[in-house]
Amino acid sequence: MVDSSEKENSADSNSSVIERINFAHPSEKQCAQILDFYGIKWEYEPKSFPVEWDKRGSVLQSFTPDFYLPEFNLFIELTTMSQKLVTKKNRKIRRLRELYPDINIKIFYQRDFRYLLLKFGLHKMQHN
Amino acid sequence: MLDHIREVLFTESEIEEKVKLLGAAISQDYREKELLLVNVLKGGVIFLADLIRQITIPVVIDFMAISSYGPSTEEFGIVRLVKDLEESVSGKDVLVVEDIIDTGLTLTYLLRNLESRDPGSLRVCTLMDKSVRRIVDIPIYYKGFDVPDVFVVGYGLDYEQKYRNLPFIGVLKKEIYYPEE
Repeated sequence: MVDSSEKENSADSNSSVIERINFAHPSEKQCAQILDFYGIKWEYEPKSFPVEWDKRGSVLQSFTPDFYLPEFNLFIELTTMSQKLVTKKNRKIRRLRELYPDINIKIFYQRDFRYLLLKFGLHKMQHN
Repeated sequence: MLDHIREVLFTESEIEEKVKLLGAAISQDYREKELLLVNVLKGGVIFLADLIRQITIPVVIDFMAISSYGPSTEEFGIVRLVKDLEESVSGKDVLVVEDIIDTGLTLTYLLRNLESRDPGSLRVCTLMDKSVRRIVDIPIYYKGFDVPDVFVVGYGLDYEQKYRNLPFIGVLKKEIYYPEE
């Protein structure tokens, strides 16, 4: 886990933190850059939540949200796969909310990320 | 320009009515106070111009502009104030006037910036709230309209700096911003 608060709020230190992280998807890196731009502290995949166990109590499946924003006590999960393919993930998130009702989590689907790109004028770059 | 609009979401008269209500509420709540309205350029300027004419108490207005994340942002850039206030906010009752709040990222930055200047009070007034797009929650004290998940322009709001001069708030046709789809 990497914590964006490890750095001072400057472009140079932002880059060093972001470059150290092996983001699972380019959209996650872009999200981290947007949060950094607006001075929002974030942590990348800081915590996994078990959502399924076997009979002996060993964890079979966990859910690891992409970001945690400590100032807002908010987890963010980015899922840029097409809407048709998110059913499995939605099931996992429903289970997460059942097991951990106090967790504040927002899911960003592909359409939400597209809106962010549109809002910031990056949508044409994405298409190119 | 009108043929780029899919539908009118809020008409001129609906906006006018809403702005009157907001102006009346603000005039009531801030009577006998020293109110400073802080407007965020550029989108909120038309709303501010109409709003202050519906406020019946003396007000001072000032403007801020901040850089926006975008194609020209350096890869690891950070937000900066492009235009700062000319007025001091220390001890004053400050009302931030926005055209629309969606992700809350810009406003979070602005509110933190203003809070650090020790205002007497700090509240937010927005004409539109697109809460479906919220990333970070922000307390909104005065709100005009809730907006569905559509791309709106007009009455100050733009797409690529255009459409701000439309007198209503409309939904932009998708083919304008996604021409290849």
